[in-house]
Amino acid sequence: MTRPCGAAQQSTLLADYIELGHCPTCRVIDLHGHYGPWPGIYLPNANEQAMLMTMDRCGIETLVSSGHTALADMRLGNPEMAAVARRHLGRWYAYLVCNPRYPVELGAQLATYDDERAYVGLKLHPTMHDYPLDGPDYAPVYAFAAERRAMVLTHTWGHNALCGPARLRAVAERYPEITFIAGHAFHGEFEAGIEVALSCPNVMLELTAAYSVRGAVELLVAGAGADRVLFGCDLPWFDPHYALGCVLFAHIDEQAQRAILRENALKLLETQLIRKGQHRHD
Amino acid sequence: MPSDLAFFDCNVTIGSPMAGLIRPCETAQDLLQEMDWCGVGRALVHHVLMREQSPTVGNAMLSAAIADCPRLVGSWALLPPQTGELPSGPAFLEAMHYHGIGALWLFPDEHRYLANRTTFGSWFDELGERRIPLLISRAASLRAHPSSMWQSIYTLLADYPQLTLVIMSHGCWGEDRYFRPLLETYPNVYLDISRYEAEGGLAALVQCYGPQRLLYGSAFPDTPMGGARLMLSRTPIDADARQMIASGNLERLLHEAVLI
Repeated sequence: MTRPCGAAQQSTLLADYIELGHCPTCRVIDLHGHYGPWPGIYLPNANEQAMLMTMDRCGIETLVSSGHTALADMRLGNPEMAAVARRHLGRWYAYLVCNPRYPVELGAQLATYDDERAYVGLKLHPTMHDYPLDGPDYAPVYAFAAERRAMVLTHTWGHNALCGPARLRAVAERYPEITFIAGHAFHGEFEAGIEVALSCPNVMLELTAAYSVRGAVELLVAGAGADRVLFGCDLPWFDPHYALGCVLFAHIDEQAQRAILRENALKLLETQLIRKGQHRHD
Repeated sequence: MPSDLAFFDCNVTIGSPMAGLIRPCETAQDLLQEMDWCGVGRALVHHVLMREQSPTVGNAMLSAAIADCPRLVGSWALLPPQTGELPSGPAFLEAMHYHGIGALWLFPDEHRYLANRTTFGSWFDELGERRIPLLISRAASLRAHPSSMWQSIYTLLADYPQLTLVIMSHGCWGEDRYFRPLLETYPNVYLDISRYEAEGGLAALVQCYGPQRLLYGSAFPDTPMGGARLMLSRTPIDADARQMIASGNLERLLHEAVLI
């Protein structure tokens, strides 16, 4: 039984995605990606060429990634991720992963940031590194980022002792020069995340995994505003079309969809590139 | 064309969960509205009270709720036969037939039983011979390590290798290392793709095992109906395979079941 799709009649983006797999008038910018294999999951499309093919297939114009190897070992993984992104600048950029458990090596990694054209921000993962977001060993990272008015993507999760809303609020208030991207938008504690975004203009809410909670997209848009919400899907973890389907079938208007899928991220990315003296299509 | 796909969602729930949801789907009419929004034609439905209350309450709630909704096919929950709370055998099958019930849920953790031969004896042999689909959710035990629920599914299938078993809502992380051995060992094991979000996973599965063992589902309303729908619409597989997953396989399973 084929049925007409009400949502596709309300959104040209969705209609394009259903028919074409991408939207020519709204190329997606994804600020929450990774790269490479991962221990707990079979990832069929985690290598460089496969990820580029996925981006093509799903209409993702630009991706910013932190390497899985970098999350496990900064020394090995950050240069690897940067080298991959460097081959596709304009299409692919990298986050420098910062693990506060290794402060000496962390300093050495930060020293590579300015000269590496692929880096457009820093990536923190308090739960993997088992260290609180507002702990003192992150202070050198924040000082470094504040000096450069850099973008910092951090894993966040609701009701989490290491990276819940109160932890991010504390550092966002202390470092207003930094743009913090709350990865997963404090999944499971969305209302508190909205409060953080409303009180801290330097906090953006990112949708990876949050999109798969019915109503979360609508809640975040209504509470924080569409201009504070970013698209991401942990590529190569999650199928972008699954994530996009959750956003495009959500009960929000097309203008909000365009802001989430492209416009908000484009502003952030171009701002970071200008601060590094670069342009997206150099 | 993807817009011509007919969708039959194998995994939706109505009712008001105890712990609440941001946007629950309380009634059949709420569900039908969202199906129209997403272009989904039919759905296999269960009621939240089948899981959160006794099936003796929830099964009847489900049947009453969808009685006037020809686009919705009902499912009921089972309990072990020893306590006599639900009938088993011909009386149960006749009731299923009367109410248009197409499949049966198992909620072993919530209802505190072990889904194995010691518990279900010849009753599951009969359900297997009749090809009545049994549905079991990995998500029900998400708070536990996934291996515990997968271990119980492995045990159930070792005891009943011919059972028609649909594994619902397995985790979003892509649990191929758990379920691929089952697909290779048991011919009547099926997967709902509602939370199979792994990038490239669906196409890889179809390439390895064919499309016959996969069912479109959404896990609605915990999860939006549109995610798996767009993923399936655009996954790089051929049109016939896509249609089989979208609705054909579920229609076949329901058609093959012999109730009376």
